[in-house]
Amino acid sequence: MNFLDSPLSKPAPYVVAPIEHRFDPYEDNGGTSVAIAGEDFCVVASDTRQSNGYMINSRYAPKAYKMSSTAVLSCNGFHADGVTLKKVLEQRMKMYKYSHDKDMSVTALAQMLSNTLYQRRFFPYYAFCLLGGVDADGKGAVYCYDSVGSFERENYRTSGSASALIQPFLDNQVGRKNQQNASTAPLTLEAVLRITKDAFTSATERDIHTGDNLQIFVITRDGVEEQNFPLKKD
Amino acid sequence: MNSLVQKYSKSSTAHDDDVLGVHGKWDASLDLAFPTFDIPGAQNPLSFLRNVTDEASSDYKIKIQHGTTTLAFKFQGGIIVAVDSRATMGNYIGSQTVKKVIEINPYLLGTMAGGAADCSYWERELGRRCRLYELTNKERISVAAASKLLANLVLPYKGMGLSMGTMVTGWDKSGPNLYYVDSDGSRIKGDLFSVGSGSTFAYGVLDSGYRNDLTVEEALELGKRSIFHAAHRDAMSGGSVNLYHIHEEGWTYHGNHDVAALFWEYQDLKAEERAAAVGKQ
Amino acid sequence: MAPQQVKPVGGFSFENYTRNAVLETKGAKPPKATSTGTTIVGVIYDKGVCLGADTRATEGPIVADKNCEKIHYLAPNLYCCGAGTAADTEFTTNSISSQLELHRLSTGRKTRVVTAMTLLKQMLFRYQGHIGAALVLGGYDINGPQLYTIYPHGSTDKLPYVTMGSGSLAAMSVFESKWRPNLTREEAIAIVSEAIEAGIFNDLGSGSNVDVCVIEENSTDYLRNHVRPNERGIKEQSYRYPRGTTAILKESIRNFVDVVEGDAMDMS
Repeated sequence: MNFLDSPLSKPAPYVVAPIEHRFDPYEDNGGTSVAIAGEDFCVVASDTRQSNGYMINSRYAPKAYKMSSTAVLSCNGFHADGVTLKKVLEQRMKMYKYSHDKDMSVTALAQMLSNTLYQRRFFPYYAFCLLGGVDADGKGAVYCYDSVGSFERENYRTSGSASALIQPFLDNQVGRKNQQNASTAPLTLEAVLRITKDAFTSATERDIHTGDNLQIFVITRDGVEEQNFPLKKD
Repeated sequence: MNSLVQKYSKSSTAHDDDVLGVHGKWDASLDLAFPTFDIPGAQNPLSFLRNVTDEASSDYKIKIQHGTTTLAFKFQGGIIVAVDSRATMGNYIGSQTVKKVIEINPYLLGTMAGGAADCSYWERELGRRCRLYELTNKERISVAAASKLLANLVLPYKGMGLSMGTMVTGWDKSGPNLYYVDSDGSRIKGDLFSVGSGSTFAYGVLDSGYRNDLTVEEALELGKRSIFHAAHRDAMSGGSVNLYHIHEEGWTYHGNHDVAALFWEYQDLKAEERAAAVGKQ
Repeated sequence: MAPQQVKPVGGFSFENYTRNAVLETKGAKPPKATSTGTTIVGVIYDKGVCLGADTRATEGPIVADKNCEKIHYLAPNLYCCGAGTAADTEFTTNSISSQLELHRLSTGRKTRVVTAMTLLKQMLFRYQGHIGAALVLGGYDINGPQLYTIYPHGSTDKLPYVTMGSGSLAAMSVFESKWRPNLTREEAIAIVSEAIEAGIFNDLGSGSNVDVCVIEENSTDYLRNHVRPNERGIKEQSYRYPRGTTAILKESIRNFVDVVEGDAMDMS
């Protein structure tokens, strides 16, 4: 049967109901993400707590998603918007694959994510995204976004509820800001993982919306590897 | 209002004749590059958007990056464009490394003030259209036409919350050209503009040092110094200064200058001048 | 005429009230008080009363103090857990505590729990909820162990087991499933700890450690940090900066003492 003939395609009968005047479609589900680019790798880490006010909705609700073999996306803010955004991106990545017969590079995905966010300029996704991966040259890449699609490629970035706590730490330890005579050698994967874990255990101490578990994605030319670590649960 | 909504929203219930056709004929260049915009199904979509994006609102959740001090001026050697690199989200410094000069093509530059996403999205779209113009007309677009293209692009969205204060500059057949275009619909041709929250500080330095017969070096220094003083006094501006010079062969990038480093540089210069003045007496 | 001197008197000062109200209408944000998103509980057992509290103090989403004290002293046989505005619980219990001390000095008797409860509720009712103190009051007097809850507006409850604060639902779920009459001292401490831990882990406003206070006829035991289920793990690496990391912007050395070269000491 044609889809248009099916009863599902017809609008539901109009029912008189009181109109809700207050439209409040957003919720803050907390959580924090960190992304750090290395020479030939990228680390994307998120805690897995999902909360609302003083309530914990879930202790294991991942908000970082593997998008391809070279890209991981993490969405802070409103979990439902993050899930929707990921779904829309996956659809568009498939379309790209079908029309171009190749997988999307992180660089292309980064621009598409920006356009997807900007499409909702007048009804924004409440999602603050970080996109991490390795680009066509095999170099680590981190892209960070605001909620309507302004984006920038950086070397390290944190977003989410504890971002104001972690960003200065990364500026100092990864960006070597305000340090005289500090080495400028690129960080090794081991060093990046140590800094990432310390950033999260420390943020968990002081931010009530961050905690429970830490999910770390390590993206290299060879693919995406996932690690999990426990965080404090109070 | 409702006509606006109808014009720009894609309804999820109304379907075309070929409801599934999109899956077969999906074209990224049509569907992604120039999307239609989704509109919230609220009583008043405008006040809804304002409510969640306004920094003074109690429902302020959707933090949008804002750009800040930019300037551009004409002089005998062409045009100087100088910008800072800070983006603020509410009272949080979102980034210190924003590229606020958008390189539309080798002969055209656009600057970013107001909503960062609005500027970069529409100036990218402008770049695409300028390229299409070149391909159809076999010649480069004039700055006047490019700036009008941008103004016409955003004008239909007037009153819907776009925030964009930009300068479109470049070199075309008629020589150096400078236009100010904003999301309210203004499009002004001029010799000297500064846009953003730090513009008052920048104007102060710029106006006192501006002459048409500046050399290129003097003009670059004036642009850099103006942005530096704006970044120094305006909390919403900072990071570093990006410098561009536009001449007959297009634009040339004149480097990224950290504001903190510039501070010490200018301090040392001041000390030297003072020492020289004392020596003279 | 000389300016009139206002004699300082006790109590609250309202001199900035009108000004602040005007500022607020002009959009100024009033400063936020530290609110203790909290779990506090109390339970009566056969020979006494046991109080419990978590130790997290928050300022919005930030943990301000990881190990604060929420069980306040009122009298040797009376303690009081506080939830709500941190300053209000602190000063209300302090003020009532000194009133009770004076009362004991003039009567020469052990303070009764009802006395403290009445003083507290009358004070809170007088201020119509503007003093944001939610309290759990427990003590032992000639009528045996007693337990009260006092709400910010001045109403009170007298119950065998109580919970308060943002974690009260989590804690109450433990009491409702495990409480029974005539608990022993050990059972009471265990059930109180479990209730507080339920608050610590399931309520974001509560966290860190469990404080317990056990009051019996002839003893009061304040078990500070009775359970510590949230020790911080060891950091992955050290963040000590090598010497010379901090930039020196300017240097100025001043001699406050003139060192005069003296004759060599006679060592012979």
